Amino acid sequence: MLKVKIKDIEFSSPIIAASGTFGYGDEVSKLVDLSKIGCVITKSITYENRDGNDHPRIHESSSGMLNSIGLANVGVVNFCKEKLPKLNNIKTKFIISIAGSTFEEYQSVLKTIESTNGEHVGYEINVSCPNVKAGGMEFGINHEMIFDLVSELRKLTNKLLIVKLSPNVTDIEKIAASSERAGADAISAINTLQGLAIDSKSGDFLLSTKFGGLSGPAIKPVALAKVFKVYNNVKIPIIGMGGISSVSDIVEFLRVGSTMVQIGTVNYRDPSLISKLYDQMLNFMNENNINKITDLTGDYK
Amino acid sequence: MTKVTKSKIEVIWSMRKWPKEYIKWRLVTAYPNGWKFALSHPIIFVKDLWKFLTWCQMIDNDIEI
Repeated sequence: MLKVKIKDIEFSSPIIAASGTFGYGDEVSKLVDLSKIGCVITKSITYENRDGNDHPRIHESSSGMLNSIGLANVGVVNFCKEKLPKLNNIKTKFIISIAGSTFEEYQSVLKTIESTNGEHVGYEINVSCPNVKAGGMEFGINHEMIFDLVSELRKLTNKLLIVKLSPNVTDIEKIAASSERAGADAISAINTLQGLAIDSKSGDFLLSTKFGGLSGPAIKPVALAKVFKVYNNVKIPIIGMGGISSVSDIVEFLRVGSTMVQIGTVNYRDPSLISKLYDQMLNFMNENNINKITDLTGDYK
Repeated sequence: MTKVTKSKIEVIWSMRKWPKEYIKWRLVTAYPNGWKFALSHPIIFVKDLWKFLTWCQMIDNDIEI
């Protein structure tokens, strides 16, 4: 009933855990019934390990969260040695998120992972992290660079290649179309919106980097608009995300064109919410006589 | 329907089953040196925890589960 397919990969549910909100995937395996999650997307992996940005790097805001974690991660070599063997045993599929500051870094990370015996079904290319001074954002806002990057990475793997787009652009549909032309199998939309927080009394910025990425229920209307625009400009599947916290939110994202959805910020409140959403989604489909979840994709009037 | 806001104690109680590996990862996410930073900056840690619990109370109103 909830099964969906992207390329030749079948997922048991369209509801998946967003990168950076669920650890590397194995940390929550004792808490959450992972078989109820369509897939886990790992924290973004770079070539070298990174401590990330200075404290403070998370600021809780109204109906959302501002973060500038700065791609803190163990680095690809440690990831392959320590995390991948554990991930190979989790009770759901997993996708590895990769990030970098240069073309070469993305290629090196992907090549390193490809040389292992990972059971991952694909890669999510993080081209839109707004927190790294050199890299991320430059790829994400330029459709020609996206085309070149995705084309190069496409040559290195037959696994799913998903491009995660930034909403901080004028024409997200143009960037999605470039990703599709370059060989991407799906689009994730949207990453965080650029935001800033300041203390009204002291004038201090509340993130060490001043700017951060806003996520959570506050950004849902923006995310729906971006997904809708992308849906009407590409043929490849869309994995919608941005402030989803209920079954009705999921259905809204499906109706504007998503094939799957990612749950992100609310995992910080309770990582087991995602498996509860699976049960509630099944109830919703039974109550509304919907046989296939895919019937909802693009079903708007 | 307006939800009854949980107390901070109730919010903490709702997290009682979080595995230590997950808590460790959350600290690594929040701080450059993870739990080491939290231990060496206890006042910052308590302030951040308080802010997080307040946020949990608020975000519970957005979550319809």
